[in-house]
Amino acid sequence: MAPFLTFEVDNRRVFGGVRQWFDPEKTESVGETPDYRFSLANERTFLAWVRTGLALIAGGLACAQFLPPLPIEHLREIIAIALLILGAVVALRAVDHWARTERAMRTGTELPASRFPAILAIVVATGALVLTIAVLIQALR
Amino acid sequence: MNPGESTPGTPGASGPAAFDDHGMSSFRTRLAWRRTALSAVAVGLLATRPAFAPGARSAPVLLAALAMAGWAALVGLAYRRARGLDARPPRPARRTVIAYALITVGFAVIGGLVVTL
Repeated sequence: MAPFLTFEVDNRRVFGGVRQWFDPEKTESVGETPDYRFSLANERTFLAWVRTGLALIAGGLACAQFLPPLPIEHLREIIAIALLILGAVVALRAVDHWARTERAMRTGTELPASRFPAILAIVVATGALVLTIAVLIQALR
Repeated sequence: MNPGESTPGTPGASGPAAFDDHGMSSFRTRLAWRRTALSAVAVGLLATRPAFAPGARSAPVLLAALAMAGWAALVGLAYRRARGLDARPPRPARRTVIAYALITVGFAVIGGLVVTL
C-alpha cells in the first residue's frame, strides 16, 4: 500500500502530504490541468468516501445512544469509539487519496493504487461477524 | 446552471464545445456535495440528542452547539462550491475538499466526547 501522507517528487519520497493539502497553489503548478471532468469525478469519489465516514460516525453515535448496556463492561462504548475512529480515518484517507489522484492526473502518471477499500471491508466484516457470534451466544445461553 | 443546456461535442476539444457539461459532471458533482451535507444531518442530530436529555449538563449542550456549527459550515461550503462548479470551465475544488475532511474528523472528535462524557 502506498505510504500514508507521502509523495514522490523527482523520484524522492517526501513527507509532504499534509503540506500539500494546505498549499494547494503548489499542486496547481505541477504538470498540466487535466480535463475538468476527471477532476470532478475525483471530487465525487472523495465525497462518496466522506459520506462513508459520516455513516460510520453516525453508526458509532447510534451505538452509544441506542444499544442497551452489554454484558461485557464498556463494550458498547468501545464499539462506538471504534466506529468513530474508523470514520475519522476514512475521512483523512479520502482527502489524502484525493490529493494524490489529483497530482497523478496532473503529472500524467498512474493513478494511486490503494488497498484501503479491501482493508475497510475486512475490518467491517470482521466486526459484524464478531457481533453476530456475540448475539448468538447470548441468545442460546 | 441548467443541465438541459449541454449539447453534444467532442470531449477534450478546444473552443466553446469543450466547456459543455458532458455527462452533466458539474451538476452531478453539485448534487454529490448536497447529499454529503445532508448525510451529515444524521451525525448532527445524534450529537445533539444528549443535550435534550432532562437535566443535561453544560458539556453536552456545548458539544451539540459545536456539531450544529460544523453542519452549518458543511452546508455553507457546499453552496459556495456550487458557484465554482457553475463557472465554465468549472473551477477545481481545493480548500473546500480539505475543509470537508477536517470537519468530518471534527465530528468524530465531538462524537468521541459525546460518548465518553
